[in-house]
Order: sequence, then structure tokens, then C-alpha cells
Amino acid sequence: MESRFLGLAYLAPYLIGLLIFTAIPFLGSLYLSFTDYNLIQSPVWTGLDNFRELMNDRTFMKSLRVTLLYVFLTVPLKLAFALFIAVILNYRLRAIGFFRTAYYVPSILGGSIAVAVLWRYIFADAGLVNMVLAGLGLEPINWFGDPVNALFTLSLLRTWQFGSAMVIFLAALQAVDKSLYEAAAIDGASKWHSFVHITLPLITPVIFFNLIMQMVQAFQEFNGPYVITGGGPLKSTYLLPLYIYDEAFKNFNMGYASAIAWVLFLIIMALTVVAFWSSKKWVYYAGDKRS
Amino acid sequence: MKLLTTTILSAGLLAGTVPAQADSLRMSWWGGDARHAQTQEALAVCGQKHGHQIAAEFTGWAGHQERITTQIAGRTEADIMQINWPWLPLFSRDGSGFADLREYSDIIDLSQFTDEQLAGGEMNGVLNGIPTAETGRVYFFNKTVYDAAGLPLPTNWDEVRAAAGKLGDGVMPFEAQGLNAIFLVSTTVTQMTGKDLIDPETTTVAWTPEELAEGIRFYQSLVEDGAIRSWQQVAGEGNIELFEMRPWAEGRIAGTYEWDSAYAKYADPLGEQELVPVPMLQVDGAVNDGTYRKPSMLFAISKNARNPQAAAQIIDCLLNDPEAVDILKDSRGIPASKVAAARLAEQGGIDPNVQAAHDLVLEGKGPIPSPLNEHPKVREVFGDYLEAVAYDQISADDAAAEMIDEIDRALRSFR
Repeated sequence: MESRFLGLAYLAPYLIGLLIFTAIPFLGSLYLSFTDYNLIQSPVWTGLDNFRELMNDRTFMKSLRVTLLYVFLTVPLKLAFALFIAVILNYRLRAIGFFRTAYYVPSILGGSIAVAVLWRYIFADAGLVNMVLAGLGLEPINWFGDPVNALFTLSLLRTWQFGSAMVIFLAALQAVDKSLYEAAAIDGASKWHSFVHITLPLITPVIFFNLIMQMVQAFQEFNGPYVITGGGPLKSTYLLPLYIYDEAFKNFNMGYASAIAWVLFLIIMALTVVAFWSSKKWVYYAGDKRS
Repeated sequence: MKLLTTTILSAGLLAGTVPAQADSLRMSWWGGDARHAQTQEALAVCGQKHGHQIAAEFTGWAGHQERITTQIAGRTEADIMQINWPWLPLFSRDGSGFADLREYSDIIDLSQFTDEQLAGGEMNGVLNGIPTAETGRVYFFNKTVYDAAGLPLPTNWDEVRAAAGKLGDGVMPFEAQGLNAIFLVSTTVTQMTGKDLIDPETTTVAWTPEELAEGIRFYQSLVEDGAIRSWQQVAGEGNIELFEMRPWAEGRIAGTYEWDSAYAKYADPLGEQELVPVPMLQVDGAVNDGTYRKPSMLFAISKNARNPQAAAQIIDCLLNDPEAVDILKDSRGIPASKVAAARLAEQGGIDPNVQAAHDLVLEGKGPIPSPLNEHPKVREVFGDYLEAVAYDQISADDAAAEMIDEIDRALRSFR
């Protein structure tokens, strides 16, 4: 085979997969967002009707608020926790390899239905957490029945799946030049000062990368609310992906569901652009001339 | 003459009398563990009898409709499907959503069903599904718990209220949240007014806001009196069905309002404890029992099935074959098929509690419900407002008025 075709041949499986499973459905949903499509009959073009309806849809507005709250609660919590664990695992401890693996395991299992079911049992009325609280002489907490607690419980599940972000942080921490810490120590800097003034600035590219990845994933959260709370109570955990699913497959409004999906996409896109714009102010790359 | 005979025979062949070839089929259904095991065993027998391989695709109730919707939209649905009666207007408003089973009446013995039963499976005059049974909502109580407390099984709501606090530490007399709350409120208003939620003539809500508000207040009063667990308490268990909850299995919830055909699903987790049906509990001044009776699940054939004759053979076997009937027993309720019902009755193959529950459904008086009672949007609106009342977000009066407005809007496209 000619060498110019060889690269294309290697890329072909990925490109075909991308085309079939991502690009075509992506464009298909864009078309459907301008139609009335009930899955059984052919789509009917309705122009911007779906998007106009969204503006007056109380459920959409509530779901959007809940989704934004979830993202702004979960992403910082998860990044902070992942970084905290990564810092601990960066120390030379006995059996550190085992601990690094053990802390990564939840993120392998994390997205699965089984873990969501487990979470449901742990935080249920008579679950493990309330049993521990009772053992400590404390009142049990209604984790899923209280609208505020329910979203927080889902947020904790996502935070618990910190492994992938943690591994990336760990790699970044290990790449920080040790001589910088030695110089700071000679100048009398404390561990905390070294962390704030050396470690954090040097790993900002990785913080930025993790921020974008975790934000996109949090906006797409589905398994947790679907399995654990069903979106309740009072739609306090009714994240947009759940609303999209219900409209598409329960209420047979695939056109409307596609419109919601596109609004969600635009929100993610806008926040990503804002993050990139703000990164000029706080992300430092090697060779950066800023002082 | 020979030519004429040949032509008639050929026409007959084309009309669907082609003998079914051995084939690989798929069948999908929802249910509990008992139904899954019995159906797989029956499929093995029916498959062997007719020379077909049948792949079983079974799930719990939750998410089954979404699964079927996705499959139908992608034309990847199973050849044989167990479908829910209220899905007919969703998937087959003009009758073209599923195969017309009358085309296979030479394979499926339709004479085993009454005209009324078959009418329940028709859309626009096309027989889309054959009801496996008739079903309805029945009050079930944990007799073991009531016996242990020295209380008789409730015969009216006052007795359920009176049982609060007397059944043991932390034992609740009854549970009705989510879908069960919707049915309890519906039954209450139907008993008070004699009307179904949806007026069949106008396809609008038949109840006035005052009538509906009265039903909601009645439900709330049961919660306030400690007869029913509050919405908040039940939500505290997470998104889980009653029969999967520990308090249910341990007898700490002593009653529920369920389909008669779902008896095994709720009785099995109780182990040695006995779950029994009781006659319809009524509100004061009830004009009828408010019984919600409907064709149960239906067996349908996909309109895209490659070999509908083979699928029809399997359906006939599951519904009417003595060996399959012996295996399936009452896993989908008391069979609608005359031959199956007679065989089970003769052999004592029906759980006495299932039979008693079914008799209560058949004897109960109430209006014929519209399948649109179970339209997803109607359910969603009903459930959301009941939840809002339960969480003190809205008054019963305001909830009733808004609920009726929204349900009427959802029904507009069906007029």
C-alpha cells in the first residue's frame, strides 16, 4: 500500500466510528431540534418552535438551575479532593503503589449502575451512613427525601470518583522540579507556602485541563440521578440529561429533547470558552514570560 | 376448474397460511423473578414444539417502556413483545404500529377470548395485541403483621387510620407514594363522583377542581394520621420499588395498593409472612367501588417481524397450550384464555390469594378507564403536583386546578 494511504488506513477505524457514532447523530439531533418528531411518525419541520417553547418551560428552567448548581458544587469539590489525595500520594510512603491503585479503583467503577445502586443503599433511610450516625448518637438524615441533601448526595458520588483527575494531578506533581522546593526551604518557606507559591502555579495547566474535563462530564451526569433519586424529590436532582431522556423516550418528544440537548451543548461550549479566556490570567506554561 | 382451485390455494398461501419455518425469534417482557423464570421455561417448551429458537429479553418494569420506544424507533424491537395496554395509543394510534393478529387467526386460537377482551387489544379496529389477563388495582395487607398485633384486616379507611401506632414499633399500616398515590387519589375521586379521570366523550378531565382537591386532601389526611408513610419518608429510600425495600420485606410496611397480577412480586420478598387482598376500601358516601380494571399486558407481534407466522405460533402456545399454561400458571395474572383459565382452575394451579384478588377486581364496580389515564404526561403532571402538595409547596386547591389545566393540555392532541 502506498505510504500516503497507510496513515489513512490506520485512522480509518477511528474515523468510521466517529462518523457513525458521533458526527451523524450530532448532525441528526441538530436537524431534529427543528422538528416535531414522536419517534413513530416522520419528523415535521417546525422551525424555532422547540426553542421558543423552552423559554416558557418551567421544568426546563428548574432543570437548568439544578444542573448548574450541581456542576458548580461538584467540579470544585472533586478537583480539590483529587488534588488533596494526589498530594498525599505524592509522598514516599510504604506501600504507596497499593494506595495509588486503591484510590484509583472507584473511578474505574464510578460510572457504573452497580455503584449508583450501592450509593443508594449506603445513603438510604436505613442505610450505612445513618447506621453510623445512629451509632454516634446522632439523628438520622433524610439524604434522598430532602431536596437540598439529595443533590449534595449525588455530588458526593461524583466527587468520590476522583481517581482519573487524581492520577493526572499526581503526574503533574511529580513533574515539579524538586530544586525549587529546596531553594524555597533554604529561604525559610513553610510547606504550605511552597504549595501555594510553587506547586499550584506550576500545575495550573493540569488544573485547567481537569477543570474542563470535569465540567463537561458533570454536565452530562445521568446514571446517578436516574438510579438513585429518579430526579426527585421535587425535581431537585432532575439534571438536564434526565429531562432530555424523559422527553425523548417517555414523552415521545424527540424533537424537543434534541433542542434541549443543543441548548445544553451551547451552555457547555460557552462555559468552556469563558474558561479558556480566563486561563490567560491564571494558567502558567513552561517558558511563560509573565512574572 | 383446476386453474381456479390453484388460484384460490395460492391466494390462501399469500394471505398468511404459509406454514411457519423454523426460525430464531426474540421475545421481550418485563416482570419479576418468578415471571422471568416461568416465561423462559415456557419459551423453551414452545420453541421445541414448533422448532424455533427464542431469545429471551426481560427486564424489570422500570425503564421498559423507554427500552421498547428506542427499539421501535430503531426497528430493532423483538418479534414478540409483551406490551402494556396504555401503550397502544402511543405506539399504534391508527392500528398500524403492530402486526394485525387477525391475519394469523388460523395459527392463534382467538376463540379462547371474548369479544370484549379482544376489543381491549384493538386500535382503530386492528387487533394489535391479545390480553394475557384482565387486571386491576387491589388493596393488599400483610396478614401476619395484623394478626401479630391482634387487629383484624381493615375493611374501611377508619380501620387503617386506627391501626397507626398499634402494629408495632415503627410499623406503618399502609404505603402509597408515587404511582400508588396517583391511583389512591384517583380511586378516591372515582368513588366520590362515579367518574373516571378522563371523560371518554370529550377527552378532557371529567373531575372538577373541587372534586380532585377533595381526593388530594383525603390522601394527605391519611399521611397526617400516620396511616401512610409520608412522601418524604419514602423518597428517603431512594428511587426503588416497594417490593425491593427492606421495610416491606421485614413487615414494617403492612399494606399497599397494587395490581392483582403483581401479587407474587410483592408476596415473594415477605417469605413466611402472608399477603392477602381485601375488598375495596371506600370513602364515606362512595357511589361505586372505584375499581380500576383494564386489560392487563398484551402479547403483540412486531410489524417488522421477519417471520410473523412463527411468532404467532409461540404466542398461541404461551396463551393456550396446556404444557405452557402449566408452567406459566398465574405469572401474568389469571389467564384471559378460556382453556388456560379452566385448566389452571381444574388443577388448582392458581394461588388462592391471586384468585381472590382477581375476583375482587372482576366484582368491583367502576367506570371503564381510558388508556390515557396512564399516558406518561398525565402521570407526570399528576405525580408532580401530589409531590408538591406533600412537600407543602402548593395547596390542594391550587394543585387540583393547575393539574386539571395541564392534563387537559396534554390530552389536546388525542381529541
